[in-house]
Amino acid sequence: MGIVWRFASKLAFVGMHVEQHESRRLWESVTGSIAAAALLVSVAILNSVACAAADAGDALEVREQQAFRAAAQRVAPSVVRIETVGGMERVGDWLFGMGPTTGLVLGADGTIVSSAFNFVHRPASILVRLADGTRKAARLIATDYNRMIVLLKIDADRPLPVPEIVPLADMRVGQWTIAIGRAFEADQPNLAVGVLSATQRIWGKAIQTDAAVSPNNYGGPLVDVQGRVLGVLVPLSPTETNPIAGVEWYDSGIGFAVPAETILELLPRLQRGSDLYPGLTGIHWPLESLFTADSTIPAVRPRSPAHRAGFRAGDRITAIDGKKVETAVQVKQEIARRYAGDPIRIAALRGTERIERELELVQRIESYEHPFMGILPMRGPRQADKPAASGVKVRFVYPDGPAAKAGIQPGDILVSAGGKPLGDLAAWRLRLLEYEPGDVLPLEIERKGEKRQLALTLGPLPDVVPSAPLPPGSEPSTRQPAARPQVGLLRIDYAEQGEPAWVFVPETYDPDQPCGVVVWLPPPGEVKPETMVTLWKESCERDRLILAIPRSAGPVRWQTREARLIPALVTKIAEQYAVDANRIVVCGSQSGGTVAIAAGFRYAQLVRGVVAVDAFAEGSIPEPNPARRVDFYLAVAARSRSANLVRQTIAQMRKWHYSLIVQDLGADPRELNAEDVAVLARWIDTLDRI
Amino acid sequence: MSVWRRRVWRIAGLVTLLCVSPGEAGNVGTARGPSLPETIAAVQPKMVKIYGVGGPQGMEDYQSGFLISAEGHVLTAWSYVLDTDAIDVRLADGRKLAGKLLGADPRLEVAVLKVEAADLPHFDLARAVEVEAGERVLALSNAFGVAVGNEPVTVQQGTVSLKTRLDARRGAFESPYRGPVYILDMATNNPGAAGGALVTRRGELVAMLGKELRNALNNTWLNYAIPIGELRPSVEQIRAGKFVLRREEASSKKPTRGLTPELLGLVLVPDVVERTPPFLEATVPESAAAVAGLRPDDLIVFVNERLVPSCKALKTELEWIPAVDPVTVTVLRGQELVSVVLEARPPGGR
Repeated sequence: MGIVWRFASKLAFVGMHVEQHESRRLWESVTGSIAAAALLVSVAILNSVACAAADAGDALEVREQQAFRAAAQRVAPSVVRIETVGGMERVGDWLFGMGPTTGLVLGADGTIVSSAFNFVHRPASILVRLADGTRKAARLIATDYNRMIVLLKIDADRPLPVPEIVPLADMRVGQWTIAIGRAFEADQPNLAVGVLSATQRIWGKAIQTDAAVSPNNYGGPLVDVQGRVLGVLVPLSPTETNPIAGVEWYDSGIGFAVPAETILELLPRLQRGSDLYPGLTGIHWPLESLFTADSTIPAVRPRSPAHRAGFRAGDRITAIDGKKVETAVQVKQEIARRYAGDPIRIAALRGTERIERELELVQRIESYEHPFMGILPMRGPRQADKPAASGVKVRFVYPDGPAAKAGIQPGDILVSAGGKPLGDLAAWRLRLLEYEPGDVLPLEIERKGEKRQLALTLGPLPDVVPSAPLPPGSEPSTRQPAARPQVGLLRIDYAEQGEPAWVFVPETYDPDQPCGVVVWLPPPGEVKPETMVTLWKESCERDRLILAIPRSAGPVRWQTREARLIPALVTKIAEQYAVDANRIVVCGSQSGGTVAIAAGFRYAQLVRGVVAVDAFAEGSIPEPNPARRVDFYLAVAARSRSANLVRQTIAQMRKWHYSLIVQDLGADPRELNAEDVAVLARWIDTLDRI
Repeated sequence: MSVWRRRVWRIAGLVTLLCVSPGEAGNVGTARGPSLPETIAAVQPKMVKIYGVGGPQGMEDYQSGFLISAEGHVLTAWSYVLDTDAIDVRLADGRKLAGKLLGADPRLEVAVLKVEAADLPHFDLARAVEVEAGERVLALSNAFGVAVGNEPVTVQQGTVSLKTRLDARRGAFESPYRGPVYILDMATNNPGAAGGALVTRRGELVAMLGKELRNALNNTWLNYAIPIGELRPSVEQIRAGKFVLRREEASSKKPTRGLTPELLGLVLVPDVVERTPPFLEATVPESAAAVAGLRPDDLIVFVNERLVPSCKALKTELEWIPAVDPVTVTVLRGQELVSVVLEARPPGGR
């Protein structure tokens, strides 16, 4: 865990106290101070530092602490306290207190910058208390959702004190940094001391410090030992872009600040009142291989700027705005610092041909509709010593589907698409992200050792479950199964707190044939696993499914935040059993269904299918990420109490082109019967369709 | 962040520091003051580890303390750990002595123990000093109980972040102590650290480490210590056997009859969510609010300079003001802050 070692190294650093480093740093600060003195109006502070240096008998640390204090006092007039009225109590998993928080004056006219974290609870009103005690109402002018800062404006009666800024080029890793907030006292800033840890963090957007950064100083400045501003403190996360991401690292020794120089450059855009968003190209790198991949494009989303500009999978990006790039990380770093609306010039090689195009980054890519070949692939068995797969074997062809029309038959092996060989199912799914229904896909297949060329016109994902029974999903194992773990109905502990879950592993379990996992959220109260097992046993044995039944914390309803149990439970099962990542499904009815839907939205990297009976989505429905397709199966009874809300959920999900099947349960709400479960199981058996 | 996770990284920090032996620290000091290892060597013998009873839900049965007299008076935090007849006090030299609880001031969360011994190294409370924000300090405690054998307690190094008062905002801290504290820029307030000592780099006593405490204003854990000057009067009375629990100060006590929005003629919007902003729906004709010119849609933001972020907070804040007292109410009208002084009129009166 990163936090552990960073924090450890912080204490170790302070504890070791290597004299040479300290003297040099102090000397740098002192000489720096003397050089700067002529330029500065306030020299009193610097005098004290300089005098202290002259008095060589005094301990270094005494002078250092004088410098920390002086630095804090020097910037303090520009550090304001922010108070808010109203707003939400909880955002995500973070419980919001009522503040106060911190901001920094960056314009004498009343321009104030703070952290987006401080306003994510959407307060009804914002008040600023200036360092001299004056209180003013503030307007939130704009938010930067890429660097997570906000611009506030107050009507100042007189010019406000603006601090001195340190350019990025003058920053040195290892220099003293002091993080300043006004969360405790209105009249005195709170300070935390550390060093500059890095200058190009979070894809080049932030500088990093080991000083304690937390809601006690988010929005406040990170200053150098002379009180000059290096940046504005914010929580940030390398993987998430929302204003509370990164707060889990508070006080850990990993703290971030947006460079003040960058903020000054952004001010004119923010002052126009338009929010800034991360800029998207439509080029997609799977997170799993991001850090090892070169700059060859794995997939380009249709209707995206990169797609329109003519970039395609396989093109190798060589430069962005004239800057040479060789790896996926470098490409991401170049794009991440830019905003929606920014132009960007991308140069790439397609074979030996050089392509260079300018495109405009966008805030949102038009919603994507998944294409469908109409094929179920064969799954296994898993063979560790098998060479890399050289194609995907067809298990089932949807009647009248695109593949059937193109003449594909069960047993054919799909070898390549658009002239590019695609070894396994994951490669096919990634490649299909470049197409939409209606596009023509040139294919090469192998039938009885003979290669054939075909053209397949892609269709939309089906909205019904195949009516006939499907052929087996895998061939029987040829080798003797190794020792296998326990099967049958088991209890497993999986969460730090809370009840163990019931887990049913079928008799047919074979470690060489990965199983799907069906997490069934039962109605709250007494759980009768035997009833569930009776309903599901046959499907589990035939289709190789593990049934998992967790229990709700409360006796009346499932809480949406209990969605977090699902990854914990699946991970626990995957520790002991071979799990098929393409068939992980969460099911529930009513409040359990709402949790299942939430899990599908929140854990799209894990959950492949969601079944919800008489249940609706709580809160807003996020735009789906095409690279993480989750299939939804919503069943609703006409006279269900929530029928209206379910219909709204369905309408919104259709608008976003979610992969969605709707089943009519009839007039009155009812429990799922054996017949329903058989259809459901068949649907689960098709989740790895392409 | 879960308690578990917080503890993991805090443990990591402490363990690392333990690994740095005094010898490696180098001779930072000068001819004038003691070096850091010298300071630590002088302070360590004054520290003690205290073992008593565990609390509910597996809470630790140990904490920290320090000697304040040559004849064995120990200053520590008042907690459930001391709620036993068998308190073990371990001195820095490994001696295990029986501790007797002389007395405690629950208001300050401080207790005094006595062990039978003589000529002990100790801190002199009368010579405790005050420090300022930015000053570097050392914290000594048996945090997490890692000093398990005949070994001295853990030393941490950091900076004073600020001196503030725990009662700066009502309801922010669940602590009976309401006075000044030093907020520390170091991860000090962990299980078992309560009762530890905060000293200057020269070894002068500054403060006693407090218990674990969460700041409800922003949901973060707080690192803090109580200045010795706040504890000294009670500690000396306990030592002299003359301690009488002081009555709550008037300012921290709710009046028997406090203000309500109705008494002032304030009609608030319906309080529908957890943090409904206190907008005025109307004022009662001829009430104090109406006479002062408050209007519908005014947003009440301060009551006697205290922020009221919600209808609930406004009602709570008014309860603390005697109904007979005038109160300054500040409202936000558009982008303008307007302050008025309101005096409740007795019901039925004019």
